[in-house]
Amino acid sequence: MQLDPVTLEIISRKLIALTDEIYFTVQRTARSSYVNEVADFAVALLDTNGDVFAYPPSASFNFLIDTNFKTAIEAVPDLEPGDVIITNDPYTSGGLSTHLPDVHLIQPYFHEGRIVGYGWSFIHSLDFGGNVPGSVSAASHEIFQEGFRIPPMKLRKGDALNEELLSLIRLNTRVPDVTIADFKAMMGALETGNRRYGDVIERFGVDTVLQAQVDLLNYTAARARDVLRRIPDGVYDFWDYLDDDVVTNIPLRVRLRMEVKDGQVLLDLTGTDPETQSAFNVPSLGRRMYWLSFRLTGIITTFDPDIPRNAGLYRGISVRNQPGSVFDARPPIAVGLRHSAPYRLFDCVTGAVLQANPEIMSAAMGGSMATFRFTEKMPDDTLRVEVVEPLRSGMGALDGRDGVDARDNSINNMRNRPLELVEMEQGLRVLRYDINPDSGGAGKYRGGVGQSLTVELTGENGGDIQISGLERSRMAPWGYAGGKSGALVSAVINEGRPDERPVPKGMPVRLKRGDTVTLRMPGGGGIGNPMERDPAAVETDVRRGFVSAEAARAVYGVVISDGAVDADATAQLRSTAQEQADELFSFGTQRLAWESVFPDEVMLDINRRLYALPRARRHDVRKEIFYSALPALREGTKIPLDQLISDPSEARARLAEALDRLLPAHAPA
Amino acid sequence: MSTGFEQAYCRVGIDVGGTFTDFVLADQRTGAILRFKEPSVPDDPSLSVERGLPQLLALANVEPRDIALIVHGTTIGLNATIQRRGVKLGMVVSKGNRGILEIARSQMPSAFDFIAPREEALVPRDLVLEVSARAAHDGTILSPVCDAELDQLAESFRAAEVEAVTVVLMHSFAHPQLEAEVVAGLRQRMPGISIAASSIVWPEKREYERAIIALLNSYTQPLMESYFDRLDHRISNLGITAPIYITANNGGILSLETARERPIDTILSGPASGVVAAANVAALTGIDQLITVDVGGTSADMALVHGSHPANTTRAQIGDFPLVLPVIGVTAIGAGGGSVVWVDKHGLLKVGPQSAGAYPGPICYGRGGTEPTITDCYLVAGLLDAERFLGGRINLDLGLARKTLEEIGRRLKFTGDNVAEQAAEAAIRVAAAVMATEMGRELAHRGDDARDYSLLAFGGAGPTHANLVADEAMMGTVVVPGLPATFCALGAILADVKRDYVASNQVEVSDQSAARLTEIFTELTGKARDWIAGEGEFLSEITYEHILDMRYRGQGFDLQVKLPEDLQAALDPAALTALFHACHDENYGYRDGESDVIVMAQRVRVVGKMPALTQARLAGEGELPTPIAQRRVFHDGRFIDAPVFDRADFTGGQSFAGPAIVEQGDTTIWILPQWACTVDHWGNLLIRRGEASVSP
Repeated sequence: MQLDPVTLEIISRKLIALTDEIYFTVQRTARSSYVNEVADFAVALLDTNGDVFAYPPSASFNFLIDTNFKTAIEAVPDLEPGDVIITNDPYTSGGLSTHLPDVHLIQPYFHEGRIVGYGWSFIHSLDFGGNVPGSVSAASHEIFQEGFRIPPMKLRKGDALNEELLSLIRLNTRVPDVTIADFKAMMGALETGNRRYGDVIERFGVDTVLQAQVDLLNYTAARARDVLRRIPDGVYDFWDYLDDDVVTNIPLRVRLRMEVKDGQVLLDLTGTDPETQSAFNVPSLGRRMYWLSFRLTGIITTFDPDIPRNAGLYRGISVRNQPGSVFDARPPIAVGLRHSAPYRLFDCVTGAVLQANPEIMSAAMGGSMATFRFTEKMPDDTLRVEVVEPLRSGMGALDGRDGVDARDNSINNMRNRPLELVEMEQGLRVLRYDINPDSGGAGKYRGGVGQSLTVELTGENGGDIQISGLERSRMAPWGYAGGKSGALVSAVINEGRPDERPVPKGMPVRLKRGDTVTLRMPGGGGIGNPMERDPAAVETDVRRGFVSAEAARAVYGVVISDGAVDADATAQLRSTAQEQADELFSFGTQRLAWESVFPDEVMLDINRRLYALPRARRHDVRKEIFYSALPALREGTKIPLDQLISDPSEARARLAEALDRLLPAHAPA
Repeated sequence: MSTGFEQAYCRVGIDVGGTFTDFVLADQRTGAILRFKEPSVPDDPSLSVERGLPQLLALANVEPRDIALIVHGTTIGLNATIQRRGVKLGMVVSKGNRGILEIARSQMPSAFDFIAPREEALVPRDLVLEVSARAAHDGTILSPVCDAELDQLAESFRAAEVEAVTVVLMHSFAHPQLEAEVVAGLRQRMPGISIAASSIVWPEKREYERAIIALLNSYTQPLMESYFDRLDHRISNLGITAPIYITANNGGILSLETARERPIDTILSGPASGVVAAANVAALTGIDQLITVDVGGTSADMALVHGSHPANTTRAQIGDFPLVLPVIGVTAIGAGGGSVVWVDKHGLLKVGPQSAGAYPGPICYGRGGTEPTITDCYLVAGLLDAERFLGGRINLDLGLARKTLEEIGRRLKFTGDNVAEQAAEAAIRVAAAVMATEMGRELAHRGDDARDYSLLAFGGAGPTHANLVADEAMMGTVVVPGLPATFCALGAILADVKRDYVASNQVEVSDQSAARLTEIFTELTGKARDWIAGEGEFLSEITYEHILDMRYRGQGFDLQVKLPEDLQAALDPAALTALFHACHDENYGYRDGESDVIVMAQRVRVVGKMPALTQARLAGEGELPTPIAQRRVFHDGRFIDAPVFDRADFTGGQSFAGPAIVEQGDTTIWILPQWACTVDHWGNLLIRRGEASVSP
């Protein structure tokens, strides 16, 4: 450390408060509801290397600190005071933006003619063109379908706005006024940051502030490593799945090997499934980046809440990507739903850390954050694109405490919308917005229950619904140490009516007035044997409706009669309960069935062979292999995997045959 | 009701704090203001009132019949909410909405911590019951109230032995009929149980926020009622017949009757009163843009005064819950006198967030404290005098404080003779930086800059730290009022009767809007008029403020626009649109001339003016008094000599340069080198950056 500890503490405080000022300025002046109601935006101060060195404590998520800003900055070399860089394109910005609605602005901050840092801000725009309102569709397979792409370029040159670019943007978004107003809000905020940063430099001197950039990153790196040292040295394997990739009916596996040595963590993604022909790919461009590291960010900030948040968090973290995998998207493949696969990597890190040190980790979070969009035609013929509600799963149980019910901060901590506003502003009526009973994984400590929502369309013209993030429809949020898995997600149109049908994940569906949509979110995994749960806790759960009386009896062995525990009947029921199987994790029936055909070593073998093929052929061959092993998958059936795989040995035989035929082990690629 | 203001000439303000209950007595004949502190009794704050009042009267040499008015601030409701000691509640909601308190606004307390739990619901879900009665957003009744259902609800609540029931139905803020019917039906079926409608307590849209206001009102009401009864009883037993008023969240005061009915309006009033007193200083001095800083033992609170009025917010927090009532915006900004000074394992100096609390308190109190605090730093740096602290009531142990801070200094790798003093000064600087940066953050919510404000300091430690904070925040002026340590009690007797009303009707600004808005305002004003008629006959002047919450079509948030006094002219659509554009421009830096403007809510604030309080002016133009001592203060890495003045010696009009120390019984004021102090005619110290001026 170069600066004295008092000056460094004071500068650190000032810089962090300064980023909050930039953050509040965006929040206060932006026009879109994404910013004002749900806070899907962020800001930061970057050092001269283009790394985050101060980040706002008020932000609704923090993992964006692990972002590569350098490529975008270097792409615009002739920066002058007042210039502002804009980009939303993942590929030319080096992964700064990870899908097209995220529009990023960077302003270089000058002092006496040289750049002494940068201000950065991004907003998730309501719409940036493309094939669906909101610009995110699971079915897109090329980024060209997803919207208007802006490589890093100047939005403002000195005092002058780039009007030509703005006129292009105006033509290419469904909500031009709000979008442009948001850009102006971001520019105003970055300029506020510029002035405040100038004040700090004036107060402490430019050399001191530049030294503080270095010292603060070092300081954070040391503290972050102290937290990561709580994970004992070792090698930990874990894997988890997306239920399917929309264009095939095959679960997509994320494979992690976590290697820990003295607070340094390697996330090895070797063996993860190949890129998809849909929008689930992550444009990491082979680098460590926030969608890969974000679970570790959360672990560090949970156990060291006051740590100055900057790029130093990641000094001890490295990633070995699987080239060609879903985590290594390359142009021109689609990336709109790039957060889905990372959410499963999040669960993999959770599972790996649980194996290493169960005291610092929960069972699986519900693992699904559904964004329910509704688009309708307004009386003046304009389209209104709005998120109805962001829906939350329950959180995983901890050893010693139940998981949190009906809330979940795993990916972000955005607010919901008041139902009264939903009904006032949209052609919808909310019939239910409540907890989802029995969705929490049973256990000595129960997983939190998810939320549920039912809406009815009331507008004359109906509208389009689109729900992204509907994960955990097959592969349940797992429990630990005897705890059970949480419930699966479900999303149904016209539940209980003759035309009842599932909502396809991530794709728009046109509905008419009177139709209903019902969503039930997963709960978190439980911890410990549910037969050991305190009967009084079960009674409370039943009384409050988190657990049904039937589940209390069947899963917890607790008999409730007249609203109270029947102690004798409970003791008797529990004494006859079957011995628990001695598995560390309970993954749910569908995953067990799937892995009876595709266990880890088989999947690693399949992928080794697939990755030996040219990139363009992998998708088709992979599809053929899985469909050959399980022909019923081919028809797109959603019947549960444990029913679909009625005879695992037969399926394994078909798989072996298909592998020999399509991917012989030693054939030249 | 009272002996009237004519015969009785004294007003008494009482503010209950964690450690002390503060009293001030204002003598209307002389303008003199007396102060008194009595140790608080946390279990029954009215006991400290009963003990302190006779002593205050004796000190002032007045009789009980000379008291015209008692204004009291209490944190009982706040504490009961935070500690969850309210009554057992039942709640009625619309069908499908039983999860309202579980989901709340769907947020966890922190985005960055997956271990920290969320708040426990105020009413457990088994006592949240549904009715099928339902209105649509436009008022259409989709389903009427069903008697059999109410029978069942009443039966369930009775069986669960709930003590109060709150009814919160969808869209009741605009269409309250169903809610009213359910309340009436339940009252019939559950005599003796208090049943409340959310639309009566606070009819604002957003069901969760409205529910919380109504629930907290019911939750704290029985406790508050019995406290108010005790207080009333104890005060009458002293022979005092003056009316008792209770301080309110919005900086106003309420009659005891209203406070009994609406304890929610008093729940955050504690820190608000000091800001009211600050607004009075702003009006007297003409320094009308103030940041107020109240530094107590464990925390520092800030608030804003604009144009001599306390700034309101509708985004306050009470414990785990949001409070959208208009309240004086008070924000905690970190360190207090008891904040612990420590060095982290990577060698950085930290102040707080832990506090040594009231007990054992700072090391120098000699009550077993082992961790150095900011107060210890003041002492070691020479800002406090070991013998004269709090007028000599506590003898401070300098040696003990010095020894621990020396250890801190060593860990910071300080060298030389003054390691303890260096550590003390460093910690004081860090604390000032924490307060200054937190102030800047808060101002950023409004797009403001601290340099456009003056800093007014109160509380026990506020005046000691104020100049350092102002220096750090690049502010130019510090104001230290005459009675900084009993400022909240003073604010209580300076306040007017004040209450807010809201209606949430969506009205598009158009040719028809003026008539509609007039109709709504007439109704709100009518309610306000009826209410204030019962708040005391001596209110000298009743005024009504009209406020609209407005937005552009498609915008995700509202802006509150205060209407000019000529309401009819203001409601003209062209005038209203122009006013909104101008306000939007001022607040957010741009306007959207093309967009339609929509009114989302209508508010009325009624103010009943208390007869003006006589405030004494100092004689002025006196000589600079002789310092009572010289003290060595460690500042900027070395000892400097500073004269020590006794504040009681100032007669107004004097000026002197820093470094200097001013002592008064309950606080110490530190004036930095390069700053200068003037004593004005109201007894305020005005400390300004730069050399001492000749004239005040």
